[in-house]
Amino acid sequence: MGARKSVRQQLRLLPVVPSVLLLLLFLAAPVVWSFHASFTNAALTGQNARNPAWTGVDNYARLLTDSAFPASVVLTVVFVVASAIVGQNLLGLLIAGLMTRARKPVSAVVGTVVVAAWVLPEIVAAFAAYAYFSKDGTLNQLLAGAGWAGADWLYAFPMVAVVLANIWRGTAFSMLVYRAALADVPQDISEAALMDGASGRQRLVFITLPLIRSSIATNLMLVTLQTLAVFTLIWVMTAGGPSNTSTTLPVLAYQEAFKFGDIGYGTAIASVLIVLGLVFGIAYVRLLKGDNR
Amino acid sequence: MHRPAKLLVALLSAAVLLATSACSPEQPAAENRTLKIVYQKTDSFTALDTLFKDAKKDFEAANQGTTVELQPIEANDDDYGTKLALALRSAETAPDVFYEDTFKVRSDVDAGYLLKLDSYLEKWDDWKIYNEAAKAAGTGDDGGIYAVPLGTDTRGIWYNKKVLQKAGIAVPWQPRTWDEILDAARKMKAADPSVIPFNMYAGKASGEGTVMQSFYELLYGTDSELYDQQEKKWVVGSQGFTDSLAFLKTLYDEKLAVTPAEALDANVWKKVFGEWLPQGKMGAVVEGSYSPSFWQKGGSYEWAGYGEDMGVAKFPTQHGQEPGGVSMSGGWTLAVGADSKNPDQAFQFLATALNKKNSLAFTVASSQIAVRSDVAAEPDYLAANPFVKDVSELVSVTHYRPATADYPRISAAVQVATEAVITGKFSPQEAAEQYDKTIRDQVGDAKVLQK
Amino acid sequence: MTTAEQAAPRTANGRVASPARRKASAPADAALLLIGACFLLPLLWLVFASLDTNAGYQTRLPANASLTNFAAVLTPELLLRPLWNSVLLSGGTATVTLAAAVLAAYPLSRFQSRFNRPFLYSILCGTCLPITAIMVPVYGLFVQWRLLDSMPSTVLFMAATALPMAIWMTKNFMDTVPVALEEAAWMDGASGLTALRSVVLPLMRQGLGVVFIFVFIQTWGNFFVPFILLLSPSKQPASVSIFSFFGQHGAIAYGQLAAFSILYSVPVLVLYVLVARGAGVSFALSGAVRG
Repeated sequence: MGARKSVRQQLRLLPVVPSVLLLLLFLAAPVVWSFHASFTNAALTGQNARNPAWTGVDNYARLLTDSAFPASVVLTVVFVVASAIVGQNLLGLLIAGLMTRARKPVSAVVGTVVVAAWVLPEIVAAFAAYAYFSKDGTLNQLLAGAGWAGADWLYAFPMVAVVLANIWRGTAFSMLVYRAALADVPQDISEAALMDGASGRQRLVFITLPLIRSSIATNLMLVTLQTLAVFTLIWVMTAGGPSNTSTTLPVLAYQEAFKFGDIGYGTAIASVLIVLGLVFGIAYVRLLKGDNR
Repeated sequence: MHRPAKLLVALLSAAVLLATSACSPEQPAAENRTLKIVYQKTDSFTALDTLFKDAKKDFEAANQGTTVELQPIEANDDDYGTKLALALRSAETAPDVFYEDTFKVRSDVDAGYLLKLDSYLEKWDDWKIYNEAAKAAGTGDDGGIYAVPLGTDTRGIWYNKKVLQKAGIAVPWQPRTWDEILDAARKMKAADPSVIPFNMYAGKASGEGTVMQSFYELLYGTDSELYDQQEKKWVVGSQGFTDSLAFLKTLYDEKLAVTPAEALDANVWKKVFGEWLPQGKMGAVVEGSYSPSFWQKGGSYEWAGYGEDMGVAKFPTQHGQEPGGVSMSGGWTLAVGADSKNPDQAFQFLATALNKKNSLAFTVASSQIAVRSDVAAEPDYLAANPFVKDVSELVSVTHYRPATADYPRISAAVQVATEAVITGKFSPQEAAEQYDKTIRDQVGDAKVLQK
Repeated sequence: MTTAEQAAPRTANGRVASPARRKASAPADAALLLIGACFLLPLLWLVFASLDTNAGYQTRLPANASLTNFAAVLTPELLLRPLWNSVLLSGGTATVTLAAAVLAAYPLSRFQSRFNRPFLYSILCGTCLPITAIMVPVYGLFVQWRLLDSMPSTVLFMAATALPMAIWMTKNFMDTVPVALEEAAWMDGASGLTALRSVVLPLMRQGLGVVFIFVFIQTWGNFFVPFILLLSPSKQPASVSIFSFFGQHGAIAYGQLAAFSILYSVPVLVLYVLVARGAGVSFALSGAVRG
């Protein structure tokens, strides 16, 4: 009887099989393949394209001595911290907060505009940002109107340009998360605090923020991961240049693997990114687990 | 069977079907063959598209039952190279006949992507009238022929006479040393600060353009080399390498060339041909013999007066040392995919595309230097543009890129070095050291020669 | 954007984060409008340039607005075929994803099993995989498996990348459908999957629509995956064809690029409005973000 029951229980899981197959074949396998290929000198062309050889940790050793890699790690961290953790997150919280105070039509209109930048296909958003920051673009037009000399942003300050572009593009997500979270904060708690004479800042720090703590954590995690993977925006705007000054890790991996044909080295960089993603993923799961308890 | 279970089975089998249909490409039936042709097409380069469309018509008429599927990739040189490399890597996506840059022939032969054509060429009478340099361009490391050139080219200084005259420089102009170039450029700048006096490409965005139309003209005019032919080793630590970078730095620092930001735009050459030279906003540029193809009738930037306004000069050596000038030659070829299911037909198509009629039309339309003696003797070719004679004479001082399989990686490293210098990231000395390190990483210490 | 940051100090007084909707405040309105203007500017360029035959990178009202740019890019080769390919890719991906997600979510939502938790947590980890980072290995793997340049396998790959989030969302939506309703169906002798089809799915139609559109939009906008995996020009979706258009003409045909961008973006904007109108975005997000 017990055996039959457990068989039935197993059968109940049958519908999960297509998903498991898809995930194993197309997500797990590339990850495994990535680690494997990163220990070879596989290439797009030349001798190593036909007969890639096992080279051990050579690619990883090269990462450490290649000046482009540490520079790229730094740029990736700057990009993630400035555009996601600080930019999108704080600006999203600010907008969501303002919306609770602003007139409804104003909130609606501004919300639509912010979301529009997010819903647009990434490549279109990248074109718009490219045009905005280019030497003859709108930003310099505005600055000139205010009497300031502009700059060739994409060339002289590529990181500033891509960070601002990513804030513009991605803030909507944080805004939506925080709007939902703030809407869930019970009105009476805050009102009660107000009665007790709590100042606005005190209410924010001691009541609102703790109440939406889990939303903040979730949001931070998700925007960090989304930003870590940004490729198209940077590729269209600066292609990682000039002289690699905006080459984040995804751009570096693409460049090494496909532009310079060094698949083995490119996958080594990709593997580093995958590990980063998994570390964040595990942290995220822990966070949610803690929440559920 | 329960209905939901049926649903599940249907879904699963659909997924399996999808997967298997993707795995097994249809086998072409013997009487219904398809040849896949991959090549580059851009809004300013349609001559090849025309060539293949004509060849397709001829070929399909002569070979009933075979369909020629043209797959033009619309991209710049660099992106075309990437896309082609991605497609070549897999037998399923590799084309039957494709357009291949000469500098990639050896490394792609090494990778096993190209079919050896020796047995076909033996039976192809036209092959005998190809010149020796052209034959060498399609040769692999094993001495076999793997690709047939469409044409070749040379490079020199293209200058706008009016801009030079305005600065008091006598035309025809022929600088003898690098310093004379700088002197002339400074004069042009002084006469009209709004012109770009003398442009040489730099940076990764221009790809091979950066090395072929700029860096190698410099390096091959010094006493140093990129590659030691005797030792078969890559040269590092040479004075000439640093000097060449320093020259580029001077050009860009003194604003004698385009701005670094413009140089890093992959489409900068379009502005050179389409705006700056015709409008008299640029004094001179180092460019290829194919330049007239853009300006002549039917070109992308038609310019009726280019014959009178433009002049060609040899690029000088560093201090005027022998032979007094430098040029670079490259060019593109047609090759047959190693995994082609119909290699005989594929070669036949290649031969049709390169017959005298098609070759002549393409050579004239894209201002190539002929590689077939019959085309070279045609009056239509000789009168194709006013500069055929000038650019053909540059052959006497021309150089070819090192014919090695690892060349593409070296070229990429050179491009990186030029970009680092013009953007001010590194000094010429530092950029050269960085280059040396990259080369050692790429090819190993055994294939490096310290100078 | 600079103005948005100038507006930031206003938060210091903290009132802005007050959750209660008391009387609307003028400073909040002003600050919001300022931020909105900054977000609007780059978009304005797209619209104006698309109508201007002499467009540059500056934002200005077209001297004589016309639809010439739209007419110029509305050719089968440039736009229509790539758009159709995008429809196939996005529709296919969304369908496969939704089907797999519904099947997977049902047992996860309805039956207790030792398998549930680890599975859900690994899925959650899967959502964290940076897809752009795995494109190099995916390319290598597709070469080995001979799947390159195939629409179906690209669809399956994109479905797999969308699946973790889709399963997560679907399960959360399914959790909100009371089990009691199905129990009645079970009593009548219906199997689990019958109950799923006849009872649960109709009740979570809205949620399913959200997941479908969510995946559709995501796939529609994806440039990198088809750029690497689909090589024949005839199979390329609009995201790739617009990129090669930009690569070739970006520095010259600004107006046409803008027109192309708009035509390519309209479908996802419409779909998004559908979701926002029908279900509300916070509803959609609640499926995605809730633990």
